[in-house]
Amino acid sequence: MRIHVKRTGGFGGIERNATIDTSDLPDAEDWRALAEHAVAEGRDTPPVGVPDGFCYQITVDGHTVHCSDPRLTDDQRKLISRVLKEGS
Amino acid sequence: MDITRSGHEPVFCTIVPPHLLDRLSQAENQAVAGAARRTLVQDEANRARRLTTAAGTTRPTIAGTAEEKPNRTIHDAENGTELPGTKVRSEGEEPGQDATVNRAYAGLGATFELFLKSFKRNSIDGNGLPLIATVHYDQNYGNAFWDGNQMVFGDGDGEVFLDFTIPVDVMAHELTHGVTQYTANLTYSGQSGALNESVSDVFGSLVKQYTLGQTADQADWLIGAGLLHENVQGVALRSMKEPGTAYDDDVLGKDPQPGHMDDYVDTEQDNGGVHINSGIPNRAFYLLATRLGGNAWERAGQIWYDVLTGGDLATDCTFADFAKATVDKTAELYGEGDEHEAVLKAWSQVGVPTA
Repeated sequence: MRIHVKRTGGFGGIERNATIDTSDLPDAEDWRALAEHAVAEGRDTPPVGVPDGFCYQITVDGHTVHCSDPRLTDDQRKLISRVLKEGS
Repeated sequence: MDITRSGHEPVFCTIVPPHLLDRLSQAENQAVAGAARRTLVQDEANRARRLTTAAGTTRPTIAGTAEEKPNRTIHDAENGTELPGTKVRSEGEEPGQDATVNRAYAGLGATFELFLKSFKRNSIDGNGLPLIATVHYDQNYGNAFWDGNQMVFGDGDGEVFLDFTIPVDVMAHELTHGVTQYTANLTYSGQSGALNESVSDVFGSLVKQYTLGQTADQADWLIGAGLLHENVQGVALRSMKEPGTAYDDDVLGKDPQPGHMDDYVDTEQDNGGVHINSGIPNRAFYLLATRLGGNAWERAGQIWYDVLTGGDLATDCTFADFAKATVDKTAELYGEGDEHEAVLKAWSQVGVPTA
């Protein structure tokens, strides 16, 4: 499973991108469950965010959903922070 | 050093009585006035008394009957994401051990003071709305935002950004999003979104200048100076004076802000580039303020404030709509003299039509 996170907006308006391929990871199943939940709770179009809030695009195996601060679900927040931290 | 927990406490506030600082802060001599004002801003314990005195002696209440002093509450999210979190400091309480909390309290106070003293606006809604902020939001959170009801500040990500309560202009920027929400309510997308952002930068910078007692030519016109980690190649997040020059770094990339309509960035990211294209109206304000000289919050700030709060802007207004409104407002306030010419020239220099 290939998970891509794009973060835009925020006070600085600085874009960040990170991708992780979970296929060979020992916790691939955990990633899959987390990613499926995060995507299921996302939106097809970008929600209008709050001023200076981050906007996120989560793409899992080619399917993209949107969400934005501060209204993230726990799974979305966890997935975003893990991919931005552990992905490249 | 743990930057989020360190900080300095005012020293001169216990020596000079507040009524004297009040007088000094309005002195003709800018150096004296600036020093006094700085101390006033830092001297949280004296603030409520001073503002009450000032309000009682200078002018009547404008909107409603709300008392003209800030009503601040600072909360601590304790690195979680529940808002507002645990209440840690209410209005009038003494500073505690947490420098982030103290900075947020002081920054909200400084912003309240500029809006009250310069523009006769009593808080975000003009009627004494309580100012609510949450600090220590989330973990390694390199951001700050206005959620529609309150301000939220992260501690920084430890790599690029430090604590978002360090620059007073960042805190004032967030509070100004509240003022915009209650007034022009500029839609946070495309050009109206970039204007929403620019107005927050303008008043953010004005709060910093007012706090430091700086004239337009003394100000740095930077947004977020002191926010970047020492390893980052840059001076701030944005430059109103020279958009596009605030940073140029391996990790962050280069500051993408344009300073002219020729370089306007069409993008779907960042709500249509609201933090990018804000460089254009930011620079127009800088050009106006420096051409007029003196304190930027006086004439240039008054024009922008009156346009923002005047009720004549469409929520989806364009740069050109906003520019035209500032030209009309300038003629109304100051006639068709130097100020009028300066505002026309400022917009012309950034390529925004006014006719």
